[in-house]
Amino acid sequence: MSVLEGKELRIVGFLCNWCSYGGADTAGVGRFTQPTDLRIVRVPCSGRINPLFVMKALIGGADGVLVSGCHPRDCHYAEGNYYARRRLEVLKGLLPVLGIDPRRFEYTWVSASEGQRWQHVVSSFTAQIHALGPAARFTEAPEPARLGA
Amino acid sequence: MSAENVKKFISFDALPGFLARAAEKNAVYVPRREGNAVVYRSFKAGDEAELGVRPTESCKHVVFPRGEELFSFAREADKEEPGKRRLVLTEASEPGAAVVFGALSCDARGFLAFDPVYNGSGTGGTAKDSYYLRRRNRTLIVVKACKNALNTCFCNWVGGGPASPQGADVLAVEAEQGLVLDILSGEGTAFTESLPAASEAQLAAAAAAVKAAEDSLPKAADVSAAPASLAALFSSAEFWNKESAHCLYCGACTYLCPTCYCFNITDESDGLTGVRLRSWDNCMSPLFTLEASGHNPRPNKADRLKNRVGHKFSYYPSLHSGRFSCCGCGRCIKSCPSSVDIRKIVLDAVKEAANV
Amino acid sequence: MSIQDELKSAITAALPDVSCVVGWGAGPEPLRAAPLFIRGEADLEGFSAGFLSVNNPALYLPSLKGSKVGVVVKGCDARSVGQLAAETLIKREEVHVIGYPCRGVIDVDKVAAKLAGACETGEVAALREDGDDVLLNTPKGEVRLAKKDITADKCGRCAFPNAGNADVFVGERCAPVVTEDGYADIADFEARGLDELKAFWEQEMSRCIRCYACRNACPLCVCRDQCVAMSREPHWLSQGDGVRDKLFFQIIHAVHLSGRCTGCGECERACPLGIPVLKLKRALSRRVEKLFGYKAGGGDTPPLLTFLVEEPTIKERDWK
Repeated sequence: MSVLEGKELRIVGFLCNWCSYGGADTAGVGRFTQPTDLRIVRVPCSGRINPLFVMKALIGGADGVLVSGCHPRDCHYAEGNYYARRRLEVLKGLLPVLGIDPRRFEYTWVSASEGQRWQHVVSSFTAQIHALGPAARFTEAPEPARLGA
Repeated sequence: MSAENVKKFISFDALPGFLARAAEKNAVYVPRREGNAVVYRSFKAGDEAELGVRPTESCKHVVFPRGEELFSFAREADKEEPGKRRLVLTEASEPGAAVVFGALSCDARGFLAFDPVYNGSGTGGTAKDSYYLRRRNRTLIVVKACKNALNTCFCNWVGGGPASPQGADVLAVEAEQGLVLDILSGEGTAFTESLPAASEAQLAAAAAAVKAAEDSLPKAADVSAAPASLAALFSSAEFWNKESAHCLYCGACTYLCPTCYCFNITDESDGLTGVRLRSWDNCMSPLFTLEASGHNPRPNKADRLKNRVGHKFSYYPSLHSGRFSCCGCGRCIKSCPSSVDIRKIVLDAVKEAANV
Repeated sequence: MSIQDELKSAITAALPDVSCVVGWGAGPEPLRAAPLFIRGEADLEGFSAGFLSVNNPALYLPSLKGSKVGVVVKGCDARSVGQLAAETLIKREEVHVIGYPCRGVIDVDKVAAKLAGACETGEVAALREDGDDVLLNTPKGEVRLAKKDITADKCGRCAFPNAGNADVFVGERCAPVVTEDGYADIADFEARGLDELKAFWEQEMSRCIRCYACRNACPLCVCRDQCVAMSREPHWLSQGDGVRDKLFFQIIHAVHLSGRCTGCGECERACPLGIPVLKLKRALSRRVEKLFGYKAGGGDTPPLLTFLVEEPTIKERDWK
């Protein structure tokens, strides 16, 4: 159990290996202070991110999910982030209908040299999730409490 | 007739209170209307049981849960040997007693198809399924007799009837603004102890209701030739391709069926902990027969539907003294998204085999 | 000639060139038809298209790929054919599409609601159409119901009643019910608020029995035996009976249909427990339509299979 149990929230970050992961590294090397709620999953490209990764994290108990890839026109694989942009933008439409606050999910672009931008993105997203508080978890029980009961 | 066999009566007005008192002691499952479906839910004071519209699902999950934890496991740090983890297994907690109030008579008869498979009678007592038996033995079933037949009903084809007592602890027949209760087991006697005996008028009304219900069923088709016919058509790809053409091979029929008893066992882990789970499985699913090599002996829906129908009307009866593993509830017909009708398949098979 | 006869002639004319024609025939009950596979003229006897033609016959097309087949379609079914062809899941030239003007199909659950208290739908002994009404023989006598009261919800927002891509069209084209699907139902649903919606799905999905009728009834769910829901590695879903796993399957289905779902509603109709699973897909369709102006089924490239370097409709967060 973390000593920060209760103070930290669970935020999952899916970061492109070529840009944002490097950007986070740059921020670390530059010793920019950052909140520590984010758990980073490194992926080869934002285009690798199946929207179900985001949904699995949110249904599984994450309080927030952040995706970060290369800026448009800057994808290591030329066009992965273009596909990602469409998929993730569409995915935002699913959250409210499920009863999940759409502000719990964001995506953005951070390059490997943008340590300061990374610091800004991760700080503001973490602040946003803290403002929302812990996400209410979907019940696991076969028979949940009845509506209006 | 001994004193225990006296039929009891409960008025519909007194029923909620009676169920509420029963629910204080045991889990009581009653059919409840939810949206467009009627499903079995655990009864809480203030609930209304749906005893008119017939339940969409069977009550088999009360005895045979959709997902049953067999035990849980955890990899805990070993205090003796730092850096090592030892596997700790914890048995699942014992289920409590349960009552199903308002099951259909076909639902109760459905368990009679489960029993020989799980109580060891087929293996001389060597292969008993203790997980099944402990729930089965602790579940009391109150059947609410049907008032009439639906288009999809065919319980009389397979030895049942709208007010069949088979498999029931108590048989309830609607009469005079209440239920006349026929007590069929010791557990049933205890359950209905607080209730008054039914009057002559109530008994007469109940008998008339049963008669009317039985008369509402069309004459049963003769399916005695089905086991041999289906066996004869086992290799007829043409027959099964034709019968299964519109099948979607989903699992709605099997999962709504009171007699389908197949299961899967998986370990579902989450990090260092997990459970061994027994969950429903069905022969319409590709994973049901998929072998580790990647070969699937039932690659298409014709094979799978053949198994479903063949099992119920041929293979099972050949193993269990001629009993069909179908109780004729018709849920597989009523809820089939593509209108597959098992009655038609069986009759087609009998006809087809006779022509060969 | 009646529409039925015209359709039968169109099917007869097609039969020599196709292995079968998929349409509708008599079902197990008066309120329900069954998909019918017409292989010869003898099979035509039971054929009927109209108010009971609920099933989407496009469902069967990917499995019949490789031979020329015919299919009788409603407007919504034709959208499924169009989408399957746009994604090269079927070869359009292998499908002979016979269209007719559809004026809506029955929703048996709505009949059940109308008959509530009197009898169950399973007690209806016969159904007869009488203009804009249907007459039902019930144990309580004859019941007259207006078709508009027992027509499926999707028909109330139908913009494509006439199969637009038909090779043969029979009958006179009818006017669409609406020109634009406004997704008002989804807007109303979302307006209930996050907490209520979460509780709603917990309640609804608790009825789910994991039969996958929703998936198997979907004409665009073509993975069939390779569905990720059944994969052990990666392990998207456990075999448990929990609401989270069941809901996550609906998320998988909706996400995999984003930009593909034509809204035929078969998933929701197929659900034996009446779980309104189409809502999730419609929420995504609304989003896709708003972002890319794309309506699935028209034959264009699905929006998630392509991109623009500058996306005029995507307003990215600026993190100021």
